[in-house]
Amino acid sequence: MKYSYDWLKELSGTKLSPEKLADLLTMRSFEVEEIKKAEGKLNDIILDLDILSNRGHDALSHIGIAREICALENKKFDYDYKELKMPSAKTDKIKVEIQNKELCSRYIGAVMENIEIKESPDWIKSRLAVCGISPINNVVDATNYVMLELGQPTHAFDFRKLANEERTKSECARIIIRKAKKDEKIKLLDESVAELDTDDLVISDNEKALAIAGIKGGLDAEITNETKTIILEAANFNSLSVRKTRIRLGLKTESSDRFEKELDPNLAEEAMARLIEIISETAGGELRSVKDIYPKKVLPWKIKLDLNYLNNLLGEEILDLEALKILKSLGIKPPLNLPLKKGERVLEVEIPTFRIDLRTQEDLIEEVGRIYGYEKIKSQAPIVSIKPAKINDQKIFERTVKNILTSGGFSEIYNYSFYSFKDAELAGLEKVKHLELENPMNPEQALMKISLIPSLLKNIENNLKNYKEFSIFEIGRVYYLSSEILPEEKRMLVGAIVLEEDKKAESFYLAKGCVDNLFLRLGITGHYYDDFKADLEKTFKSLWHKTRSAEIKVGADKKLAGYLGEINPFVLEGFGIHQRVVMFEFDLEELREISEAEREYKPISKFPAIVRDISMIVNEDIRISDVLMNIQASGGNLVLDVDLFDIFENEKEGVKSLAFHIIFGSDKRTLENKEADGLMEKIIADLERELKVKVRK
Amino acid sequence: MLEQKILNIKTQALEDIEKAQSEKELLDLRVKYLGRKSEFNKILKSLKNLSLEEKKKIGPLANSVKKEIDEEIKKAEKIIKSKVDLEKEKIDITAPGKKIKRGHLHPLTIVQNEIENIFVSMGFEIADGPEVETEFYAFDALNIPKDHPARDAWDTFWLKAQTNADDTQTNTDKIQYKSVLLRPHTSPVQVRYMQKNQPPFRIIAPGKCFRHEATDASHEHTFYQFEALVVGDDINAGHFKYIAEEFFSKFFKKKIKVRLRPSFFPFTEPSFEFDINCTVCGGKGCSACQGTGWSEIGGAGMVNQKVFEVSGYPKNKYQGFAWGFGIERLAMIKYKIDDVRLFHGGDLRFIKQF
Repeated sequence: MKYSYDWLKELSGTKLSPEKLADLLTMRSFEVEEIKKAEGKLNDIILDLDILSNRGHDALSHIGIAREICALENKKFDYDYKELKMPSAKTDKIKVEIQNKELCSRYIGAVMENIEIKESPDWIKSRLAVCGISPINNVVDATNYVMLELGQPTHAFDFRKLANEERTKSECARIIIRKAKKDEKIKLLDESVAELDTDDLVISDNEKALAIAGIKGGLDAEITNETKTIILEAANFNSLSVRKTRIRLGLKTESSDRFEKELDPNLAEEAMARLIEIISETAGGELRSVKDIYPKKVLPWKIKLDLNYLNNLLGEEILDLEALKILKSLGIKPPLNLPLKKGERVLEVEIPTFRIDLRTQEDLIEEVGRIYGYEKIKSQAPIVSIKPAKINDQKIFERTVKNILTSGGFSEIYNYSFYSFKDAELAGLEKVKHLELENPMNPEQALMKISLIPSLLKNIENNLKNYKEFSIFEIGRVYYLSSEILPEEKRMLVGAIVLEEDKKAESFYLAKGCVDNLFLRLGITGHYYDDFKADLEKTFKSLWHKTRSAEIKVGADKKLAGYLGEINPFVLEGFGIHQRVVMFEFDLEELREISEAEREYKPISKFPAIVRDISMIVNEDIRISDVLMNIQASGGNLVLDVDLFDIFENEKEGVKSLAFHIIFGSDKRTLENKEADGLMEKIIADLERELKVKVRK
Repeated sequence: MLEQKILNIKTQALEDIEKAQSEKELLDLRVKYLGRKSEFNKILKSLKNLSLEEKKKIGPLANSVKKEIDEEIKKAEKIIKSKVDLEKEKIDITAPGKKIKRGHLHPLTIVQNEIENIFVSMGFEIADGPEVETEFYAFDALNIPKDHPARDAWDTFWLKAQTNADDTQTNTDKIQYKSVLLRPHTSPVQVRYMQKNQPPFRIIAPGKCFRHEATDASHEHTFYQFEALVVGDDINAGHFKYIAEEFFSKFFKKKIKVRLRPSFFPFTEPSFEFDINCTVCGGKGCSACQGTGWSEIGGAGMVNQKVFEVSGYPKNKYQGFAWGFGIERLAMIKYKIDDVRLFHGGDLRFIKQF
């Protein structure tokens, strides 16, 4: 809210410059966001304060801030409310009926006659202008002035425009506070029409709604230049009800802002007295009637404050007297039997009704702490028990994976958790039910991801504008529907490789090498690549290139650990990518479970190994793994390892030539050349018989 | 006399051989000492003029010396041949090094790792929770009731309610995710952790959060937050100040002061806004801190007893502090990044700088 420095100075008597005052308020009360000179002829400074949301009931007013300033400067606040007694008057001009007492705890209506509507005097106009409110006429300006001064919104109606039931006898206005009727409408002061709901509270006469309670007045009973008799309203409306209605109608006003933060019903009386005072002065007129309906008076309440706890929580040693002085400066009444008896540490203080936010002793400790000055709190090392922190294995695993991938040339990407229906469709994921956002920022971000891949494809498309080849990865969560209260969240890892040239599936084999390296360093052994079986539900059939993708399996139970493969060229096309892209995808949690097996040392053989090479020509439909398994099976235990070291594909003849090192050895004795020769013969014979290969001799 | 001369030649020759640096020099030495015109050759030629007795004495000596010099030259040649000519090997050491292909961690990962390292070194545990949360953990449990204006501070993404058709057995469609949201802060982790653990403890909860607000250079609807929670019998605001100052000093690798200001959060009472002295000017005031000498970092406070009660702790038995801040903010200060959108932009020109 914008405050007038001049006004605050007048109410609080502060001698601080605007800058000094702003610093003080920022450190002890509310952050001053801006200090600026008022425009034009106004000789004033505007202080824009960010009022904390629990203080709207008292601090969205000049009185509220002046009270803070007095507390901060440790002096008595002498704006005397008691002077603001409501003048008494006959009540024959107004009747007030509250139908929903839970939504309106107090309603004061007053009637003033012989009003002369005109411009407000300069002192009112200039203060409204400094606070950003345009002057309208002397009556409306007076209601706004009172709101800025005291924080209580008030309203004025034209008496003549009400449907008066007893107009013929003696004129008497009837004000009814009720819920709106079904399909009821009201034309507002700005001539817009609000369609009301039966939960909305309205102020009405016998026939029609005159205002939406606490939010905005209606056009029907508007104050105009012809107005002679006015009805003034100072009331207290339920904060939640005002909030619900203003949110539904999209009507945020100065009035609704204050009511939805809850106001002290006792403030209405002071506001009405002040309003009558100002209008009498600026518009002439005299008070004819006042009616105050206030069924349940709100009284001050008490809080027990433990002075030991106060210092224990703040970590300071604030003297009892100082704490009491601070509380008093805020209008909080200490117990009558002061000073405290020796050893007495708990005191019961009385909270003024204008501090609705003060309900617990921690609230009071905050008040003492901030006025005392948080900057005085000394930092001190806590004394804590030495207890080893529980290790977060997931975090450590995630870090390890990230480090392995970056050392292998992958750069890390962070993407949003959302994508669009179109993205899902382009990636072939549309058949899986997604979680949807009720209120997405835009249609591009309407679905919660079930895969990290679509966003990575977008990253690739973007980065291809600047780089010809690159490797990227992302670790992030995906979200699946589940039968639990919350969706299932899985942490996924997806890596992607794009090479400038890929004629012979180089990207696939590079990615495969990266996966092997990742597994090796994570201590996962015995994994293998199995044919990709398009399983609609889990693997989104059309996302992967079905003849260039693999399922990665581990362990004796052949558990599926993830996927490696090219992205289907049709999918790539949809994302505007005209190069091959290879990705691998794992569920990070499952990967961690697999990798948890401990490593074990195998003794290094004391006996020398014998290496023999073998090269052969095979039909192109024979797979490398078939040859490897055949050699291993035929050589038996004495074959320690088989390494492919050369491959050449002769596409014309439909064959490929392969060359392997075969390593023979035993951990019990030195193998003789003869034995290796014998095994080689057997291996060759088996290969020729079973796989129809031609071994070069 | 002749004998002495031969020995002198030997000494001189061996000395020269040792000094020789190249095959060329050795060849010259061979000519000089053993060649036809060499002094040594003259001596050999003159042997025939000597007496028999002298011949018997000088002859074998001269031969052995000749052999020795020859062998020494051969040895030296072998050594020199085995050495390469370093001059010929000269390279341009100013030419660029071969690029090692390496990847880059995202700057937010780097900053998160640093934060976690510092806290783990102080004995903090790293806690975690779901990114999709219930309204209860995100708001109600944190003393932010439904319809309360305090909720305005957290613009929230909500999930669309779904009918779960899987519930075919009962044949009544189950409405799901009616009040399920994307967590607007990491604070739900506090309650989730406290429901399962008893004080004393100290934890941090870093993670992805979401706010329904328009994105610009300084606002992002998806961001990473970090939160610390310390609970014990007598934890106070001074302890918070200490931990915060220790943390920031370690993070920025210089002495950092923390300043507390009043604030309001429903889940802490008292609540603080906290600033650190500007890392650019150190507190003197500069353009980076708009002349104030301070940078606003985050919020903090003493845990509201209502939050303890919701977590199952007796009222007023424990005290604790909670504090949090945006990890992007820290990364932006550390790396002088001026646009928050870069973090989720996926642009390698940005990521490869880290």
